[in-house]
Amino acid sequence: MSLRTVFESQPERRYIMFGGKGGLGKTTLSATSAFWLASHGKRVLLFSVDPQASLSDIFQRDIFGKGPVPIMQNLWAQEVDADRRIKDYQEEIRKKILDMYGFDRVPEEIDNYISAASAEPAMEESAIFDAVVDIIVQGDYDYYIYDLVPLGHALYYLSMAKVYDEWINKITKLRQDMRQYDQVAATMRREETLEEDKILEELMYIKQRINASSQILTDRRRTAFFFVLVPEEMIILDTRKAAELFSKFDVPISGYVVNRVLPPDLGAGKIPDYLRNRIAMQQRYMKDLQSSFGSQILAYVPEMERDITGLPMIERLARRLFQEETTA
Amino acid sequence: MADEQKRKKGGIFGVFKDIVYGMSSHEMTRHAVRSRASMEHLFILITMGDLLGIPILPPYYSLRLLPYVTPQIAGWKRRMLRERDITDVLG
Repeated sequence: MSLRTVFESQPERRYIMFGGKGGLGKTTLSATSAFWLASHGKRVLLFSVDPQASLSDIFQRDIFGKGPVPIMQNLWAQEVDADRRIKDYQEEIRKKILDMYGFDRVPEEIDNYISAASAEPAMEESAIFDAVVDIIVQGDYDYYIYDLVPLGHALYYLSMAKVYDEWINKITKLRQDMRQYDQVAATMRREETLEEDKILEELMYIKQRINASSQILTDRRRTAFFFVLVPEEMIILDTRKAAELFSKFDVPISGYVVNRVLPPDLGAGKIPDYLRNRIAMQQRYMKDLQSSFGSQILAYVPEMERDITGLPMIERLARRLFQEETTA
Repeated sequence: MADEQKRKKGGIFGVFKDIVYGMSSHEMTRHAVRSRASMEHLFILITMGDLLGIPILPPYYSLRLLPYVTPQIAGWKRRMLRERDITDVLG
C-alpha cells in the first residue's frame, strides 16, 4: 500500500492529518498531499492548528489570519490568528453582557476576569480548537488537511476534544439536575410555565460542537492520521511511543511516511567518511523501520537537494511522493 | 401588586388553596429552591472557579456561560468566601 493508494482506495477519508516530532516534514507532506489532491480535481483546504504555523513559509505568501486563501486551483490554505480570535471572542462576551442587562459598562470584576482569561496558558490552543470546529463543520471542501503541531502538543490537541467532552457532560448533567429541581418547585407552586434555561441551551450548543470535532478525530471511516518520521533512532523510538499514546485516544493511524531518505546512489564512488557513516546509519535504521512498521510504511520521501518551499518544489516532491514513492 | 390582585380574584377558594399549599408543600418547595441555589453555586464554582483563584479547565468555553451568571457572581462569591461555623452544619 502506498500513500497514493490510500487516497485513491479510500476517498471517503476526507480528514487527513500528518503528525510527528518537530521539524521532520509535517508541513511539507501536508502541503504536498494537498497539492496532489488539488491537482487531481479535489477541493482541498489545508489549515494549520499550530500557533507557530508555517504554511505562509512553505507557500511563500502571507496567509496568517486571512481566512482560507486560494493558493492554486482547488487548493486553499488557512492559518488561524488565535490572538485575534480570542480578542474578538472576549469582545463578543462583553457585548452580550451589556446587551443582556442594559449595563453602560461591564462590571469591573467581570471585565477583569474576561481580560485575564486571554493569559491562560491553554487559551490559545482552545481558540484554535474552536476555530477548527468552525472550519470543519462547514463541510465546503472534499478534503481537510490538518497541519498539526509537534507530537506532544498534537496529543494535547487531540485529547482536548475528549477532555472537553467529559467536562461538558459533567456540567450538563449538573445543569439538568438543577432543571429537575426547578420543575419540582414550579409544580409545587402550580406554575404552568418554566423559564427556559439559557445556560443549558448554551451547553448543548458547545457539546454539539465538541462532539462534531471529536467524532471526526476518531472516525476510522472519515479520518486518516499519518506519522512522519526520519530514519534516526530517537525519532523511531519517540514515534513508537506516540503511536501507542495516539491509539489510546482512538486516533485512526493509517500509516507511516519516512522522510529525508538519502538517495542510495549517493553512496557509490569515493565519498567522505561523514557521508558514508550517515548513509550506513540510515540503512541500519531503515531495516529497523521495516521490521517495526513493515507494510504500514506508505512512502519513502527522498532528501531533496534543497528545502521544499514554493509551489514548483512542492510539485516536484508530489511527483516523487505519489508516483515514484518506492524509490528506497 | 399583581399577586395581590390574583389573590383577591381567587377569593376564599384561593386563600384556602394557599393555606393548603403552606401546610403541605411550602417546606418542600423551599427545600427544592435551596438545593437548586446550592447547585447553582456549585455550577458557578466549576465553570468560573478562576474568579476565586481555583484553577479550572481552559476558560474558553466557560466564558460563553459568563453572561448568564453575571448577576449571580457577587452573591456566589459572598457565599463561597464567608466564614462558616458549626451552626452552618446544624442549620
